[in-house]
Amino acid sequence: MSQDQDLTLRIRRYDPSTGRSWLQEYRVRAGGILRFTDLLRKINTEQDPTLAWNSSCEHGQCGSCAVRVNGKPLLACELLVENAVKEFGTKEFLIEPITVGPVVRDLVVDLEVAYRRVEGMKPFIIRPRENPYGEGEYRIDPKEMDPYVDATRCINCFCCATACISGPRSFVGPNAIMSCVVRLLDPREDAKAERFKLLHGPNGVAHCHTSKACSHVCPKEIDVAHFVRLAKSLRLKEKA
Amino acid sequence: MGNEWKISEVISCDVLILGAGGAGLRCAAEILEKRLGCRVIAVTKVSHPQKSHTSTAQGGLAAVDPKDPVDKPIYHMFDTWKGSDCMADQNVVKRIVEAGWEEILWLENRGMHFSRDVDGKLARRTFGGHTLNFGETSAYRAVFEADRTGKGIMDTLWGEVIKRGISFIHQSMATELLFNGDRCVGAVVFSPKSGKFTAIRAKATVLAMGGCGQVFKITTNCRQNTGDHLALAVETGLPVMDPEAVQFHPTGIVGPGILASETLRSVGGILRNKDLEAFMERYAPKMKELAPRDLVARAIETEIREGRGILNPSHGIEHVWIDLRHLPEHVHKTQIPEVASFFKKFVNVDTRTELCPIRPSNHYHMGGIPTNEDGQVLKGPNDRVSGLFAIGECACASFHGFNRLGTNSLLELITMGRFAAQKAMEDLDQELPPLPPDAGSRTFEKFSSYFAGHSKVTVGSLRERMKAVMTEKVGVFRNEQGIKEAISLLEELKEEAQKCGLRSRDLLMNQELVERWELDNLLTSAMLIAQGALHRRESRGGHFREDFPERRSEFDRHTLVYMEQFGKVRIDWKPVDMTLYEEGGPYAEKFGMIERKY
Repeated sequence: MSQDQDLTLRIRRYDPSTGRSWLQEYRVRAGGILRFTDLLRKINTEQDPTLAWNSSCEHGQCGSCAVRVNGKPLLACELLVENAVKEFGTKEFLIEPITVGPVVRDLVVDLEVAYRRVEGMKPFIIRPRENPYGEGEYRIDPKEMDPYVDATRCINCFCCATACISGPRSFVGPNAIMSCVVRLLDPREDAKAERFKLLHGPNGVAHCHTSKACSHVCPKEIDVAHFVRLAKSLRLKEKA
Repeated sequence: MGNEWKISEVISCDVLILGAGGAGLRCAAEILEKRLGCRVIAVTKVSHPQKSHTSTAQGGLAAVDPKDPVDKPIYHMFDTWKGSDCMADQNVVKRIVEAGWEEILWLENRGMHFSRDVDGKLARRTFGGHTLNFGETSAYRAVFEADRTGKGIMDTLWGEVIKRGISFIHQSMATELLFNGDRCVGAVVFSPKSGKFTAIRAKATVLAMGGCGQVFKITTNCRQNTGDHLALAVETGLPVMDPEAVQFHPTGIVGPGILASETLRSVGGILRNKDLEAFMERYAPKMKELAPRDLVARAIETEIREGRGILNPSHGIEHVWIDLRHLPEHVHKTQIPEVASFFKKFVNVDTRTELCPIRPSNHYHMGGIPTNEDGQVLKGPNDRVSGLFAIGECACASFHGFNRLGTNSLLELITMGRFAAQKAMEDLDQELPPLPPDAGSRTFEKFSSYFAGHSKVTVGSLRERMKAVMTEKVGVFRNEQGIKEAISLLEELKEEAQKCGLRSRDLLMNQELVERWELDNLLTSAMLIAQGALHRRESRGGHFREDFPERRSEFDRHTLVYMEQFGKVRIDWKPVDMTLYEEGGPYAEKFGMIERKY
C-alpha cells in the first residue's frame, strides 16, 4: 500500500493584504506513509513557497497543525497519505483552516481568542486545598485520578471546538470545559464552588447540544463528550 | 513594495523572556510568584506556549527524594558526570541535582498530574545511565507523568503564569539583542501576525529559546528549533560553547525521526538487527539497552554500516528493530501508550505483535550559549554580560557536558529557570537604561536584504541540502575530511541563500520570509557545530571522530567558538569546573577524569 500516490490538494487560501480568498489546486506525487505536513512542506519547496500553514512538533503532541480535510478537523501531521486515501475514499482533498478564530493567512489561524476561552476556565489550581501531608507531595490514589486523567491528555488543538455544532460564539468549547472538569475532580483543588460557577456560566455546558462530535474527532481519542456530560451531571448532583 | 522598516512600538518591562517553554516559564513563574506586580513579558515563536517543544518530552524527570532509603544526590551527580564524559561543570551539576526534589514538589503542589504508586505517592522508574552506588545497579530516580512528562510540566507552568498575570507575545521572534554599552537592555521582536517590529526594553533579558535540531535531516526537534539563539549570540559577539556536542537519540521512528522514548528500553524493549540478534550485549555487556544514548546510537549506526540493518522501502532509510512483543499487554497500555500510538500512527505498526523500525535521530544540543551556574551569559571564559541570561537547551552551563542522560533535560529546565529568576530579581530595582539609538537597524538591514534577491531557488531546497550534508558528515560519525566538505558546502549555501528571491512580498504572516531568516540561523548553527567538531580532534560523548576514536586529555576543556562573520571563527577554550573533585571528601575520586565504560 505504501507506493507513490498522485493526489490533488485543493487548499483554501487567504491574502490579508488584499482580503482575497480563493481555492488553489496543487498536484502532488507522494509516498504512502508521508504525512499531510510533509505534503505542505513539499508544496513550499517544490511548487509554491507562498503557501502559509502552521505546525510545530509534527508528531501529534502540540496540536498546531489542526486543519479541516474534506470537512473533518484533524492534525495534518498525523494523516498518512495511504490512510487518507482509505478513510476518505478519494485522492482529492479539500484543505481548509479550522474555524475557532480569524484566519491570518491561508491555513494559519490566530489562536489568541480561542485560547482565551480556555484560559477563562482557569486551567490551574485556583485555591490549593491544605496538604494533609504537610510539606511533601499530596497523596493521590491512582484510582482517584482515573476519572479525570484522560482529560489531562488534551493538547488544545481545537479540533473538537471546530467540530462542535454549538460554535464558539455561544459555547466556550469542549476543550475549555474539559480543562475545568480536570480541576473540579482534582483533589488538590479547593475552589469547587467557583468551578461549578465557571462550568455553568453564560457560555457554559448548557450550550452543549450533545452531538458528541467532539469525541468523534479528537486526535488524542479522548471521550470529550463524556467529560462535558460529567460537568452537567455533577451539577445535578450538586442541586440534589 | 512598500514594507515599512521601523519600530512600531516600544514596550518596557522588568523581565523579558525570549522563549516560553519549560525553562522560560519556570523562570517567569518564579518571578511572578516572588515579586507581585513585576512586569514579565514572554515571547514565544509558536502560536501558544502550550505548543512549545518541552511539551513533547516523554519519559520523566530525574530527581533524588531526600527521604529515599537507597538513592543519594551524590549518585545522581556521579551518573551525570560520568554520562557527560567528564565535561559537565561540577559546580552546576551539584547545584542542579541538589535543587531537584524541591522542584518536583513545586510542580506537584501546583497541580502537575504525576503518575502515582499504590500509596498515592509519586511513582518512579529507571532510566538509562541512572544508577545507585556509583554504577552498581539501576536507580529508580525518574518521576513522570505517564509518557507525557514534558506536557505535564508545560501545562502546570502555563497555568501558574497566567494565574499571576504574565504578558505573552505569541508567534513572534527575537531578531536582535539590544545593548546600552555592555549591558543588555532588551530585544527587537518581529511579529508576523501583524507584520510589525517591536522594541522591548527590559531590566533583565532571558534567552530560553530551545535547540537547533532542524540542522539535521532526521530529528526529533520541532519545526521552530532553528538555532535562532546561536545566531543572536554570535552576531552580538558572544561565543557559543561546545557547539559540537550534539546528541543523537538512539531510537527515532523511521522515517520522520519522531522520538520513541528511552522508556521503551527501560520497560524492557530489546534492540535487534536484521538477524534478530540482541546486539547491545556486544557493545555494553552490563547495561545493554540501558547504556547512555551516544553508545546505543553508535551501536545501531555500526550495525547498519556493517550490513546488519533493514531497509524501509517507503522512506529508503535503513534501520534496526526495537522488539516490544514480549512485554505484557498492560505495559503497552499503561506505560507506553503514547509511543505505541506513534508507531501505529506514523508507520502503521502494532507494538504488541510487530517489530518496530527505529534509527538514531538528532535529539538534543548539549552545547549552547555559555553561562555560569545562575544562568548569567558569559562573553569569555570568565566575563559575564550584564542584564542577559540564558537557560534551558539554548544555554550551556554545562550540566550535560558531551552527553545528556535521559530525564536530566527537564530537570535542568526547571532548576535553571528558577536560578536565573532569583539572580535576575536582584537587579530589578535599578533604573531601566535607554535603548540604543540604532535599535532595529541590524534587523532592518537583514530583512530588507531578503527581498533583494532574484534567484529562483527556494529556501526549502537550500535547507534540505544543508540537512543532508550535516546528517551525513557531521552526524553520529565524523572525520576531518567530511567536516571540511560540510563546511565548504555550508559556505556555498550561504552565498546561494543571499541570492534567493522571495515570492511573498509583504511582511504579514510571510512564512517564506520567516523561513529565510531561519535558514540564516540554521546555516550559522550548522557552521558552529561543524567548526567545533573540526577543532575537537578526539572523541567524547556525542561527538565521535572516526579519525580520533579515543578521548584525549588535552581536550579536557570546553570549546568556545566566536563567529561575528559567517565562517570566520575564533576558537577559545574554557576549563571544566572540577569543584566536586577539588573539594575532596569521601567520594572525590569518583569525580576525576574517569573512564566511561559500561
